[in-house]
Amino acid sequence: MTQPVSPPRDSTGKLPPVDRLPAFRGLLAHTDVRTLSLLGVLAVLVLIGGVTRPDEFLDTRNLQLVLTQASVIGVVTVGMTFVITSGGIDLSVGAIVALSSVWATTVATQEYGFAGILFTAVLVGVGCGLVNGVLIAYGGMVPFIATLAMLASARGLALQITDGRTQIVGVRGLLDLGERDAYVLGVPPLVIVFAVVTVCGWLILNRTTFGRRTVAVGGNAEAARLAGIDVRRQRLYLYLLSGLCCGIAAFLLIVLSGSGQNTNGNLYELDAIAAAIIGGTLLSGGRGTITGSVLGVLIFTTITNIFALNNLQSDVQQIAKGAIIVAAVLVQRRTASTP
Amino acid sequence: MRKGFTAMPEPTSFTSRRGLLLGAAAVSSASLLVGCTSNASDDEETAAGGQPAASDSPGKPVTIGFAGPQADHGWLNAINDNAKRRAKKYSDVTLEITEGSNDTAAQIGQIETLINKKVDVLVVLPADGKALTQVGLKAMRAGIPVVNLDRIFNSPQAYRCWIGGDNYGMGLNAGTYIGEKLKGKSDARVVELAGLDNLELTKQRTQGFDDALKNYPNIKKVARQAADFTVESGQAKMAQLLQAQSKFDALWNHDDDQGVGALRAVEQAGRDDFLMVGGAGALSAFQAIKQDNGVLKATVLYPPTMAASAIDLARALGQGKGVGGLAEYEIPSSVTLYSAVVDKDNVDRYMPTGFR
Amino acid sequence: MAPEPPLLSMSGITKSFPGVRALDGVDLDVQAGEVHCLLGQNGAGKSTLIKVLAGAHQPDTGTIRWRGEEVTLRSPIAAMRLGIATIYQELDLVEHLSVAENVHLGHEPTTAGFVVRGKAARASTAQLLKRLGHPEIDPGRLVARLSAAQRQIVSMARALSHDVRLIVMDEPSAALDPDEVDNLFRIVGDLTADGVAVVYISHRLEEIRRIGDRVTVLKDGRAVAGGLPAESTPTRDVVALMTGRSVAYVFPERPASAPEGPPVLEVRGLARDGEFAPLDLRVRPGEIVGLAGLVGSGRSEILETVYGARRPTAGQVLVDGTALRPGSVRAAVRAGLGLAPEERKAQALLMLESVTRNVSVSSLSRFARAGWIDRRAELGAARAATRELSLRPDAPSAPVRTLSGGNQQKAVLARWLLRGCRVLLLDEPTRGVDVGARAELYAVIRRLADEGLAVLLVSSEVPEVLGLADRVLVLREGRVVHTAPARELDEHRVLDLVMEGSPAT
Repeated sequence: MTQPVSPPRDSTGKLPPVDRLPAFRGLLAHTDVRTLSLLGVLAVLVLIGGVTRPDEFLDTRNLQLVLTQASVIGVVTVGMTFVITSGGIDLSVGAIVALSSVWATTVATQEYGFAGILFTAVLVGVGCGLVNGVLIAYGGMVPFIATLAMLASARGLALQITDGRTQIVGVRGLLDLGERDAYVLGVPPLVIVFAVVTVCGWLILNRTTFGRRTVAVGGNAEAARLAGIDVRRQRLYLYLLSGLCCGIAAFLLIVLSGSGQNTNGNLYELDAIAAAIIGGTLLSGGRGTITGSVLGVLIFTTITNIFALNNLQSDVQQIAKGAIIVAAVLVQRRTASTP
Repeated sequence: MRKGFTAMPEPTSFTSRRGLLLGAAAVSSASLLVGCTSNASDDEETAAGGQPAASDSPGKPVTIGFAGPQADHGWLNAINDNAKRRAKKYSDVTLEITEGSNDTAAQIGQIETLINKKVDVLVVLPADGKALTQVGLKAMRAGIPVVNLDRIFNSPQAYRCWIGGDNYGMGLNAGTYIGEKLKGKSDARVVELAGLDNLELTKQRTQGFDDALKNYPNIKKVARQAADFTVESGQAKMAQLLQAQSKFDALWNHDDDQGVGALRAVEQAGRDDFLMVGGAGALSAFQAIKQDNGVLKATVLYPPTMAASAIDLARALGQGKGVGGLAEYEIPSSVTLYSAVVDKDNVDRYMPTGFR
Repeated sequence: MAPEPPLLSMSGITKSFPGVRALDGVDLDVQAGEVHCLLGQNGAGKSTLIKVLAGAHQPDTGTIRWRGEEVTLRSPIAAMRLGIATIYQELDLVEHLSVAENVHLGHEPTTAGFVVRGKAARASTAQLLKRLGHPEIDPGRLVARLSAAQRQIVSMARALSHDVRLIVMDEPSAALDPDEVDNLFRIVGDLTADGVAVVYISHRLEEIRRIGDRVTVLKDGRAVAGGLPAESTPTRDVVALMTGRSVAYVFPERPASAPEGPPVLEVRGLARDGEFAPLDLRVRPGEIVGLAGLVGSGRSEILETVYGARRPTAGQVLVDGTALRPGSVRAAVRAGLGLAPEERKAQALLMLESVTRNVSVSSLSRFARAGWIDRRAELGAARAATRELSLRPDAPSAPVRTLSGGNQQKAVLARWLLRGCRVLLLDEPTRGVDVGARAELYAVIRRLADEGLAVLLVSSEVPEVLGLADRVLVLREGRVVHTAPARELDEHRVLDLVMEGSPAT
């Protein structure tokens, strides 16, 4: 990861020696035990995949496939990581993805073509996030309840818009984005969007005042308030951000599936929360890691991939997923208590 | 238990073979399982938009209560549409339709409300057939005959007439169609994209498919993955299947809705080296079959027109009639629709029944 | 002493928590029927010791004998079975249950083992309450609707509902008014007359003299004196034992000349209904103004209202003559106010974060361009601020939770120093800070004032207010009863004022 270095503005201050700066300790400074253990899990999975289905698993196309499948939920998880870090929760992400994806694929929207679909998807996501944020930050509602209400209403509205029908997208330029011809140097455009969102998320959380305030609000909201941080506005922005991520994810899903459906984003909220928690973000807030969340998503996607390649059925997949959540959290507790 | 099946379709286990005498028109587009017929009978030409059933001269007014699950899926939506449209055709039928719900408790409440309103006949498509058996019994005891649509109640006492699709037959016909197409090809490989695995009907479809394939020793089912009837899952699971199986000859996809996603995955992977058979009968699938420029060559019906037929049956029940030409004095106790295979040759006939 | 073995005998008790040795070989003997007082500064180990006694903590080493027999208190239930009951300072009542249900929680009178006999529970509760001198409390009433003093009584009734031989009371008088304290002492007298032993924890020496039989003094996790006679030991000796030095407090010199010039902070008629009456005060640059008063006198509430954390029902806060938007912390911080709150961990610190991030959190925009933090500048400035206050260890990336209480307080002060604040509001600045570190903290506060900061100080420790402040406002029940330069007051005078409230001029 690149370390942005800004020259000190105030040269009169006592500047610490360069080697003491965490920024200069390079990759290792951020690759803590937790991240290493996640990478270890991923390595084990790759080993399993490579041994069981060497031809299909260790294949460029498969890498492209896994990353593509991870993109949609990955973008949602980045937004979720911010919300959880701030001590909140967003149960409405799946429903917002559904609503954004169907609103952006109605006959009327499709008339505006590619840009219309993109704009609508993002706008609907941000709009839902705004409602969440206002209810939580200024309406004083508990995040769990406010976003649960949003989950119900957004799903309902999505159903109303579609009437239960699958809305097939006929905009060629948009569909092309999901096909092999659009790959940039072998990287699918969806994966590029995912990577950009991840990098932006990492930078925002670790390098900006916004990220710092997010952590402060999650670590101790009362202390943050008494330190002069506008906690309510911060919360509003956080749910907006999560909504924005949902809008982007909805767009990716439209490209991927070539359609909009009210059942889209089914149980994304649980997948995103699980990935974030496995990644090392504290459910109680105050600590969040984008790297961990993305690794969590990749672990889940890789498991699904390996199971599918080995033709194991969904019952086994679900059992394994549950077991891995428990195992990962237990391993982390172990490693966390013996630093 | 289902060994020795031939390629010819046969009635499924829960269908009383003798009771199946019902005017073909009464079930509009889909053929009936009448003993052993071919998959299309001639008197069905009028199909499509739904020609009212036999005795369509106005009779005694009938109020029909209709309760179904939440229409969050193209097929279920088509069920509601079919019921409503058919009811409108009769001047003597009033349809009391409840808001669809997937919640068992909520649906029980809705049905009890209909019972209290003293509707003449009930048509119920339960969210969960087993869980709603009690309320079906309650209605029957209250003297309201129940037409049980598709998802069957636990006890025959809970309904006067059951009408529904043939999940086992779907798999059977899909398997047979694929078997015939791949006849003569040695070491043929087949892949199955199933629906939601925790539903009984998915198991029945898979069972039928497997049983049909047993008749073709040259064919081997090499992979099966379950999606969950959504486009999103269809795309995801199909993409994985395509990666897992670099070469196969045929694919059966249980559901045309998830098939939209599956086709998208096929398109994205740039594959066209196999034939695909769908399920249910969505309009988009029919159109693709008609155009014949992709992998989708056929689909096996699970016709939502059964809801229109259910209204016919309910009306006949309410008016104390049989169905002219088929069941003269009483309507049958159970009707299983035939899962016809629609391919390029007969797609035009079914086009109007395709749901979106 | 008594020929029979003591009721309770703890010896060589040690207990460590990560980074802290809370108890370091404590001995404690308690006889049946005595009031044994436990004295010590905050952090001396009193709370840990009583939690060991209550079975809530397991000691690392040491033995506990009960009536001469060695016992292991594996859990609070085990302690309760022996007859040890504990009334904690933070009462552990369930607010949404009734008085009777709370009293019998965990041992409800039942029929057939599971049907709760509510009537029997209410009757026995009523009896207990009568014995405690509070027959007016209705056993069926919800605890949520009781006053603090009544809750204390309920808590005591709960302890007595067991067959109790030893009761531990952790600062039971803290929330009580003088009448209620008298009643409390009467109850303690009744209990000891019945042969029940009481371990009594209090800060107030005068209480200990009134009811105590013997005193054990704890300091830094050790019993520095055990079983002193409560009545005859001179106060000077007790204080010396507690603080480890003959003079408890060392305060920095006040500047020779009184600060002059216009006040930077002015409070006009500020009030909150039910908390404190309209208040006027001014603080000049370089001046330390102290608010002295008991718990419940409205001290913290005043500070938090000035800071905007609570919305006043009347009045204004002005900085440099400009009124602040009421009820807005952000307005106060922008105007140059900074608060070091009473509950540092709950209200000020981000415990998972480093020292640097705790210090810079209020000044982030200073190190950011378009939201982008210049971490080098941040680190440099935070380090400069913490060095200025000699925060130790000098490790900006160390997690703030690993710091001692005094250094955590310095981190909070450094936050405001970095922000460039002009008015510092200090609420109990030395709570949880050990005695040795206090003098240094006092020096820091004085130095900040000398450099031009205005300081408004609140403390429950009267000597601290008198020693540190230039001017003192004495509070009683939310009302200023006296204002005077600190030099003109002494501890007795202030205590008289906070107890009696007679405004003597």
